[in-house]
Amino acid sequence: MPDISPSLSNPSLLSRFWFHTRRNISNPHLYLGLLGIACFGFLYYLFTEGWPLPRFEKLPGPVAVFTEWFSPDPMWGISIYSEEYYQHIWASVRRVGIALLIATGLGVPLGLLMGWSKVFKDYSFPVLELLRPIPVLAWVPLAILMFNDTETPVIFLATLASFYITVLNTMLGVESINPNFIRAAACLGSKPHHLFLHVILPGALPFIFTGLQISVGISWFSLVAAEMVSGQYGLGYLILNSYTSVTYETIVIIMMTLGLVGYASSALVRFVGRQLMQWQARALALENR
Amino acid sequence: MNAAQQKLQQGALSIQDVSKIYDPDGTAVEALSHCSLEIAAGEIYMVLGPSGCGKTTLLNAVAGFHPVSSGRILLDGEVLCNDKTPQAQQNSDRMVVFQNGALFPWKTLLDNVSYGPIVQKRLSPKEAREKAEALLREAGLIDISHKYPGEISSGMARRAEIVRALINEPKVLLLDEPYRAMDALTKAIMHENLLKMYELNPVTIFFITHDLEEAVFLGHKVAIMTTRPATVKEVIPIDLPYPRDHRVLSSEPFRLQVQRVKASVRSEAEKAFAAGEKELA
Repeated sequence: MPDISPSLSNPSLLSRFWFHTRRNISNPHLYLGLLGIACFGFLYYLFTEGWPLPRFEKLPGPVAVFTEWFSPDPMWGISIYSEEYYQHIWASVRRVGIALLIATGLGVPLGLLMGWSKVFKDYSFPVLELLRPIPVLAWVPLAILMFNDTETPVIFLATLASFYITVLNTMLGVESINPNFIRAAACLGSKPHHLFLHVILPGALPFIFTGLQISVGISWFSLVAAEMVSGQYGLGYLILNSYTSVTYETIVIIMMTLGLVGYASSALVRFVGRQLMQWQARALALENR
Repeated sequence: MNAAQQKLQQGALSIQDVSKIYDPDGTAVEALSHCSLEIAAGEIYMVLGPSGCGKTTLLNAVAGFHPVSSGRILLDGEVLCNDKTPQAQQNSDRMVVFQNGALFPWKTLLDNVSYGPIVQKRLSPKEAREKAEALLREAGLIDISHKYPGEISSGMARRAEIVRALINEPKVLLLDEPYRAMDALTKAIMHENLLKMYELNPVTIFFITHDLEEAVFLGHKVAIMTTRPATVKEVIPIDLPYPRDHRVLSSEPFRLQVQRVKASVRSEAEKAFAAGEKELA
């Protein structure tokens, strides 16, 4: 019997966390998802190792990959027991983290300004729209030219794509705010800084977080590409390096690692978003969504 | 009127010969044509007219959301807008409650209500909270004061929005069809609650509606607007004693008043329907 006494305070972070964990564990979605992953793994095994199909036969199969991945003494040097593995992960995670911080730190204020001021948008929007379609990889030579170390160009490239998305979503977020909220705020005696802090920013927040979700993915994408071109550490670098040194198991290990790390970073953004937007999370929960 | 209302000195609204012309694409549309209304301090003044006739345009002019094309509006003898300054300043002496509700969804009811006095620096955050709690208790909302607007019914949200307006002690409360799209039962409850809030916090109320029973039940006076371009057709005083409750609705005097108002507004509604014009906000 759930506790239905009217509670006067909002649930704490910890109790919310427990509630969601309990609910997720008792939910069939989780098990269906795991079953889906198992099916995929089985097909992967079947086509590469069990009953190898042409084209697939050259790929390292799951048994080979997992043996290598969890081996205390890996044949090619990379497994969960090797320090090097974590150095590469850390190098990439750190770069994505910095790139996202820069993209958010610059992109959100710029997007807020563009949504807020029509004149500023008129100036800046065409520039953004011309720069945005340029694929990040086209920036590689200039990035290397501009920054002559190995670390900065990689971060620059990972920042770039996320930056556009963050600006665009933040701007759309401001434009999506019901004008009556702004009128109501004015009636209530808001000064411009109140309006900004209490209406524009929270009103744009759902869009900002949608943008962040996308930009985390884009950031990983451009990071790996950039690391393949320039860089001496990181998961992208390791993939290319393993290819040239013909250690294909390691490539698959890194690909799976990218999947896991990418999933975790998206989940983290979602979690932070839910904490910051309880008002939305709870309204959606009432609609069973 | 009770004693508190009689003492009310502030909130007399005078709308003098106000016109408003929209010019969206070179073809001028007249939304308001020479409207004049005299609203005494503390009166519940119902503005009744067919949907889309331009009632909201009048409210927006009073609130200062857009300029008037001609005419002037005075609050307690002071000019809000005239030909020289066609757009009134937005100010907390005139509080608007919007048609579709405009509680900030990211603030709890308590934070919504205490927001005004805090940003105006009239009260400290602590005092504002205490006052907000007192008013929410009065309105029967204290048990849900920590909820977000998205978690409560539209009726409760509308009540909270009226509380958010009243806490600023406005001279005039501007209500733009606040109970539109509510079922009749909820509406009846909302009406009694509004009258109760009014007894406790008397204020001039400028109430826009197209529901004529609502107009008769709540108002001291009902101004009938013509179809577009809207102008005042007739002002009918409602001679029913306060406090009014749901029993009034089935009384003979109420029925007669409704009939009188209906006769006046019906021809306008027919004209509006026949014209088939798109509703103006």
